[in-house]
Amino acid sequence: MDNITLAQGIVKAAALLGAGMCMGMGALGPGVGEGFVAGKACEGIARSPENASLITRTMLVGQAVSESTGIYSLVIALLLIFST
Amino acid sequence: MELSVEYIRIAAYLGAGISVGLGAITTGIGSGIIAGEGALGVMRQPKANDQLFRTMLIGQAAAQTAGIFALVISMLLIYGGFDITEGGWYRAAALLAAGLAMGIGAFGPSLGAGYSGGEACKSVARMPKHGNAIMGNMLIGQALSQTSAIFALVVALLLLYSVPNQPIGLSVGKILLKSISLIGAGMAIGLGTIGPGAGIGYVAGKANDMMGKFPKERSKIMRTMFLGAAVSESTAIYSLVVAFLLIFAV
Amino acid sequence: MTKKKSPILKIFIFFIIIETALVFVSSGFNKQLQIGFDDGKFVFRNIQSHYDLQEKITEEFQIDEYYRQNGETPKIYGSNKTYEFFKNIFGKTTAIGTFQLLRMLLIVDILLLFIALLIKKKLLKRPSQPQILFEMVYTALEQFVTETLGKEKVNFTPYIVTLFLFIWVSNMIGMIPIPGFMEPTRNLNVPLGLGILAVSIVHITAIKVKGVWGHLKNYVNPVKNPLFLLDIIGEISKVVSISFRLFGNILGGAIIITVVSSLVSYVVLPVGLILFFGLFVGTIQAFVFTMLALTYIGVEISE
Repeated sequence: MDNITLAQGIVKAAALLGAGMCMGMGALGPGVGEGFVAGKACEGIARSPENASLITRTMLVGQAVSESTGIYSLVIALLLIFST
Repeated sequence: MELSVEYIRIAAYLGAGISVGLGAITTGIGSGIIAGEGALGVMRQPKANDQLFRTMLIGQAAAQTAGIFALVISMLLIYGGFDITEGGWYRAAALLAAGLAMGIGAFGPSLGAGYSGGEACKSVARMPKHGNAIMGNMLIGQALSQTSAIFALVVALLLLYSVPNQPIGLSVGKILLKSISLIGAGMAIGLGTIGPGAGIGYVAGKANDMMGKFPKERSKIMRTMFLGAAVSESTAIYSLVVAFLLIFAV
Repeated sequence: MTKKKSPILKIFIFFIIIETALVFVSSGFNKQLQIGFDDGKFVFRNIQSHYDLQEKITEEFQIDEYYRQNGETPKIYGSNKTYEFFKNIFGKTTAIGTFQLLRMLLIVDILLLFIALLIKKKLLKRPSQPQILFEMVYTALEQFVTETLGKEKVNFTPYIVTLFLFIWVSNMIGMIPIPGFMEPTRNLNVPLGLGILAVSIVHITAIKVKGVWGHLKNYVNPVKNPLFLLDIIGEISKVVSISFRLFGNILGGAIIITVVSSLVSYVVLPVGLILFFGLFVGTIQAFVFTMLALTYIGVEISE
């Protein structure tokens, strides 16, 4: 892969920059969202500590769902790095 | 396609400016939030003045960690001996990317740490009796939200110190590809830490708030905070993986 | 506040003193930092050049790559015979890193076994201080298990305690500043193995509780769950996130400690950094890994 033409280089470079931007921006939303879920879960546990394990479970499932867009970004970034 | 040393120096200085300039934005905002809540707290509870003042100062110091990381990176870029090294386009791109990574990467963590410290000041004003426990929790929460800044610092240090010199006689396309991939790595970890940093800060802030309202549930709140913060961090970890791949596997 | 110092505080102070002394001794007071004015320009740099640090990072974190570049016989084996042996098993390029990893894993295992035998030998009705410490850890984790999984699933406690103690000791062992000592968790293979183990146990438990079809219908039922393929990616991402979280935190701490201690010539800061990354981050990551492994089981078997 050491001797590629300029055009191939530009295409691959665009894919790699795209991968970086994709994962970077894709991590923005899920990060804030999961943090919001966990913050509210803290509040809930403080208000009704007897339901702690239920609240923790709901928190984890909710976070797993809101993380899915982050996983899409990861998949796309890996595809851009390895398959172009 | 060779590159003269001046261009590497230009990249280093540009990276240094970007790093501390962008990194200072939310560090200032975060410290300001803590100071504002501290002042409000003194208004509500003048008797707890000393304790509030202490919480405020320690919180501000911890909230500025990410800004200090950015300062360290820019000092390294200016005085770290990069004015004498060679290394071609690879080095220039890596230095610029290190500045970008740490500069943008300081955004979220310092905002989050600021929110967490602000809520802690509010809580201390509400319950001065439990001030020490709240302050301990505030420090732990801020340390958790700085984890993503630490990831950005790691990538910046790796970009500074583990990118090899550009071999002689490569084609233009290959040089372009590798240089752009280094900048992509910087952007990935820089942008990727904003969300998790702010999110973990929100978790820690809520935990501090609730610790002031329900001091008896301390251990349960802390446990949930740890779990929630760790899970919110996972997107920052995906960004770290992508950045490592872009640095080492391309 | 009581006047008497608590034992944990005593241990902590003792630890700081030992750590400081060890860092000073191991560094040999080397003065490599140059601060001041040179030629009218402010200078803040190591006398060792940029390339020295680069080489050090390569040696510390990509040891196979380092020996491949330099082409010398690895020193850590002691003799050529052991090197040949490992080279025949693992191949030339990965032999060195694997050897280092296996050595550290062996040290961690022997340490844990030794502590366990020592505690078991002296089990008392009125417990000694180390026994209290370990009983505290065990009871706390047992309480988490009963809270998350219910009283009838308390037999998960030994697994959880083992996981916690193994990861915790692994993270702690890098704090000992002996050359060549490293956290086994710094190598990606260990966290990845632990993550695969943890998620496998989640699914095995779910199959045991709900039956094979009862568990699988969450994943392969297109009517109820049209995005089932994404659920499978989600399961894989569980492994990725749980293991890379441990790996990234420990490796990040190690890289920062190496770079900073090389920059400030081992004076004061590394002790604080080592304590932060070793004690604080190490303990939190061990706790988080264990709790996530536990809560994933709880989520699966509750539905």
